[in-house]
Amino acid sequence: MSNDTKASGVKRRDFLKILGAGTAAVSAAACSEPTGKLIPYLVSPDQTVPGVSTYYASTCRECAAGCGIIVETRDGRAIKIEGNPEHPLSRGALCARGQSALQGLYNPDRFQGPMIKQAGEWKPITWDDALSIVGQKLGEVRAKGAAGAVFINQHESGSFPAFLDAWLGGFGMRPHLSVDFEADQAAIEAHRRSYGVAWPRFDFAQAKLIVSIGADFLDGWGASVPQQLDFADARAKGEEAPRVVYVGARRSLTGLNADQWIPAIPGSELAIVNFLAGKGDVGAAAQQSGVTANVLSALKAELDAARPALVVAGTRGANALDVGLAAAQLNVSLGAVGTTVKTADAVAGFEGISRHTELLEAVTRMASGSVPIAFVRGVNLAYTLPASQKFADAFARVPFKVSFSSYPDETTELCDMVLPDLHSLESWGDAAATPSVMSVQQPTMDPVFAHTRATADVLIALGQKDAANAARYPNAEYRSWLIGRFAGGQSAMSTALAKGISAGSIAARAVAGVGAASASVSQQGDYHFIVYPSPVLGDGRGANKPWLQELPDPVTKIAWSSWVEMHPETAAKLGVDRGDIVEVKTSAGAVRAIAIPYLGIRPDTIAMALGQGHKSAAGMKVFEFKDTEVQWGYGRYARGVGVNPFDAVTTTTDAAGGFVWEGMKASLTKTGDHDIVPSTEGSARQHGRGIAQAIVAGQVEKEEHEEHIPGDASHAFLPGLRSPVAADAQGELGAPTAKDHGKDLGLYDPADIRGMAKRRWAMTIDLARCTGCSACVTACYAENNIPTVGAAWQNATVYAVQKPGFNMSRGREMNWIRLERYYEGANDSEFTPDFEARFVPMLCQHCGNAPCEPVCPVYATYHAPDGLNVQVYNRCVGTRYCSNACPYKVRYFNWFGYGEEDRKQYAFPEPMNWQLNPDVTVRGKGVMEKCTFCVQRIREAENRVALEHREMEPDEFTVACAAACPSRAIVFGDAADPRWTVAQLAADKRAYHVFEELNTYTAVVYLKKVIHPSPAAPAHA
Amino acid sequence: MTKRRKWTAIPGLLALAALAVMLSAYSGASSSQGHGPAQPIAFPHPKHAGAVADGGLGLNCVYCHYAANKSPDPGMPAVGTCIGCHALGAVAGTTPGGQAEIKKLQAFAASNKPVPWERIHKVPEYVHFPHVRHVNAGVTCQTCHGQVQKMDRVYQYASLNMGWCVQCHVNGYDPQEGLKAAGYAPATSPATPGTTSANTTPTPSAEKKKARYDCANCHY
Repeated sequence: MSNDTKASGVKRRDFLKILGAGTAAVSAAACSEPTGKLIPYLVSPDQTVPGVSTYYASTCRECAAGCGIIVETRDGRAIKIEGNPEHPLSRGALCARGQSALQGLYNPDRFQGPMIKQAGEWKPITWDDALSIVGQKLGEVRAKGAAGAVFINQHESGSFPAFLDAWLGGFGMRPHLSVDFEADQAAIEAHRRSYGVAWPRFDFAQAKLIVSIGADFLDGWGASVPQQLDFADARAKGEEAPRVVYVGARRSLTGLNADQWIPAIPGSELAIVNFLAGKGDVGAAAQQSGVTANVLSALKAELDAARPALVVAGTRGANALDVGLAAAQLNVSLGAVGTTVKTADAVAGFEGISRHTELLEAVTRMASGSVPIAFVRGVNLAYTLPASQKFADAFARVPFKVSFSSYPDETTELCDMVLPDLHSLESWGDAAATPSVMSVQQPTMDPVFAHTRATADVLIALGQKDAANAARYPNAEYRSWLIGRFAGGQSAMSTALAKGISAGSIAARAVAGVGAASASVSQQGDYHFIVYPSPVLGDGRGANKPWLQELPDPVTKIAWSSWVEMHPETAAKLGVDRGDIVEVKTSAGAVRAIAIPYLGIRPDTIAMALGQGHKSAAGMKVFEFKDTEVQWGYGRYARGVGVNPFDAVTTTTDAAGGFVWEGMKASLTKTGDHDIVPSTEGSARQHGRGIAQAIVAGQVEKEEHEEHIPGDASHAFLPGLRSPVAADAQGELGAPTAKDHGKDLGLYDPADIRGMAKRRWAMTIDLARCTGCSACVTACYAENNIPTVGAAWQNATVYAVQKPGFNMSRGREMNWIRLERYYEGANDSEFTPDFEARFVPMLCQHCGNAPCEPVCPVYATYHAPDGLNVQVYNRCVGTRYCSNACPYKVRYFNWFGYGEEDRKQYAFPEPMNWQLNPDVTVRGKGVMEKCTFCVQRIREAENRVALEHREMEPDEFTVACAAACPSRAIVFGDAADPRWTVAQLAADKRAYHVFEELNTYTAVVYLKKVIHPSPAAPAHA
Repeated sequence: MTKRRKWTAIPGLLALAALAVMLSAYSGASSSQGHGPAQPIAFPHPKHAGAVADGGLGLNCVYCHYAANKSPDPGMPAVGTCIGCHALGAVAGTTPGGQAEIKKLQAFAASNKPVPWERIHKVPEYVHFPHVRHVNAGVTCQTCHGQVQKMDRVYQYASLNMGWCVQCHVNGYDPQEGLKAAGYAPATSPATPGTTSANTTPTPSAEKKKARYDCANCHY
């Protein structure tokens, strides 16, 4: 048979082949996904139910403050951290860094067991061998005289410092150094001398006027969570709220929250404070600070009239101690002590921090070869000491160096042995919260890696091995030792563990006297150069946690990068645009980073944030440890991101023994290169859109109370009770009434026996309270399994640009809730201190009349009868029409399948995926995602009340962002039930909806910010 | 005829195949209904959960699946729970086959290894099925799982497809039907007070327990 004889089409045989293939495909599809195994417990643990969370009270160890936390665990794994409402510091709130402790716990680059460096290579070793080697070294050192030995510990309060000193003493070694690079030594010294405590509680709510002299107390300066809580309470007073004045060359987050900015030249703050205290001449102060005399005189008059007022000082210049003392003296004379400065509930965690000068002295001894053995725990000196200090060379002269670090940081790479510590969420401990309250730390789960050990237990094991010390350590566990410190023993400790706190105090170690200020700051260059600890990465500790890398800097909105802040005037003078690479050069060194024009900095000043620029310190080989590659340079998320400004910082200390980070001089040059700007910011201006609205103090009461939603007033916040059809939402049909019964209202029948239409989930966000700190953003990532997308390898496979933050520069970030920051006033080229910043948390508004819903061709987004705008991932086919339709731009597309394990863009490498919330779907590629109003928490609450056969109580639960918020700006609840707080707040006189004119009937109600202009300065309401 | 024309029917056939796939999905054929793999230990549900009259012990399902009434997860019995009765020297089985299986269990316990049961019922990851709501609403286990107390080897009784879920959420769950499904005659059941006659027709739909059926009830 020839082809010609066949009339048409496919031969019968071909047809059968094709049909067969088709059938095979269908059959293959019919085999459902593999179901896997069901692995039961060997013995059921008490007090846990599989699938139901268990909560542990503990203490956060991410900064020195030591807030109380509640750790949610599910089936033996910690999955979420929130603040402990009973704790005197955190009072239920928690910052972004505290929440990110989980990513330290589950960090894929954690050491999985002890290692030793042999012949220039790292090799695993057993604990028995490791301990005998250390024990033998300790014996040798003691025989030769161990007095020169150094133990450097990341500062922590509680019982451990004394325990450690006792252990060191047993081996003839000197007490350890308790180092904290972020701690403001000058402020601590000034507080101690003036108030008697290292860090008092600043009760902002009691003040009539708040003046901050360079202190970023909302973000990183001191205990930011309690400070934010108190500050927000002050601002929530609305009309009566204290005015806030910020003095400093760069507007930090606190500066942006201030009503007035006084841009003083770095180093001139002392003259201003002296003038305010009546000790100086206004002319001299004005001349030194570059601020007009009128502004300073007006501030002085205001301060003299305000009783009580509060002055906080946190400069990092060479004269920082003098500024701190002068400000404290001013507080004393203003009568602030006892009213706005409270010592009874001081932050006890800041007691006992070693001076930086002590550390420098230890480094000097290392360099001279008189340190026989060194231990480092939690501190990354090779990164945080200025490069000019040549730490690596000094450290190399120590014959035996042991690190207790969990992470492959720069310092550990230089050590000879690593004995990986447990994470604070896996180990026992305690902390001093206030002078009269101590906070306990307990393991919330078994160690992630079985071959890691608590340093305290390692020290006990070493003590037990040593004949001279064995008698002092009868128990093998630090926990037993800790129980001994409770007056009531085991039962007292159990009581304390339930609440996370206990009455009592822990004496802090004495701090050495002040040494001499050392060296001089760089004077080379035309610009004042400021470095400051990153609000999210701190002194670099946070850089290995992708949530923190992904969290945009609250001020500049840049993530996964380093940048140089300069005023647009400076940039214009230099001929650089946003993203052009500039070089900052001091007498100590030079760094290159992208230029970011920023309105809130003096034209003669440039600034850089610390925290980035981790790199392998010794170029050691990437070490294969079991299944994981150990990435030297602080792990895969930190390595090679940005630059380290410490490379250009001179090693100078102030009179309190702290490092000087301000008032250096540097030169600034254009390089001609350009790089991406990984920013989440679109425009910094509102362009008349009225997104972030404000009202001038004094006008609030005068405002006519407008209806928030056009149309039917009585249902202003209940549009979810009506259908999502536009005509209906606009009131044509109105809310279903009794006469509608019997009609087919489907899901929207309020009389439906399923009770579905009873609720309208809604949210209020008080912009007077919101400080823009962005803790809500990280809380959302943690709760909702949101992938981070900024790592260098997470871009597309084809046409890949392997740069950290590239996806963010293309607008692919997945922050379901984001913090928008807008400027009001000034213009974008000329310098003026008179501009205002407004922060707006922006998330899905759960519109009653949502533009995204009618455009979806597959009904993947719809309106639930309880008011939620729902995204159904398994229906979504990724057309992205909804994102185009959304006026708020709060829908995010999963471009590369960040939740799929077999992709290189996978955002949750083992064991990071242990943190995933089992109640939330992990989204795959090609799916639109957005805020769900934490629907899983709503369902959980509904399940609970159904199980307990009761009605839901008002404010019974809340969503993740509201729970974290350290300024208590976000309130969530049922607006249809007047007993819920949200229903009352939604009726506030300041309430408004963003883009109300679009008739979207949003469920998110914003309360206008209240601004307090100085009599002299113009307002931008 | 040219070779080219020979292949013109391919698109049509592909469309046919696609249609077949869609029909198959719609019909529920893509479910693993009926799937009943061999287990590492041939656990006899009839012996444990079967009615006493049938020679079983009459154990309540939640004796072993202890979280079904208080958690989204039903809970699998810990090896310790099994060993509570089947420790060495205790209940050792009556038949040689049973004795062999119990020995396997004891071996798992002795080596501190959990039993790697083959999972049978699994809804996709984007579905949230809280057992607690269903059990506390009075839905009998057998309504969805079939009469496990009579299954020598447990298999997937229901399709677990969305249509199967939704028909109950929309039309409502009839407690009488649930009891029938569980293998009880409604008249003899103590759980249905008010029922006087075994011949009563099923209760009218007004008394059926309905539930939300919009997507976000389960998909989030």
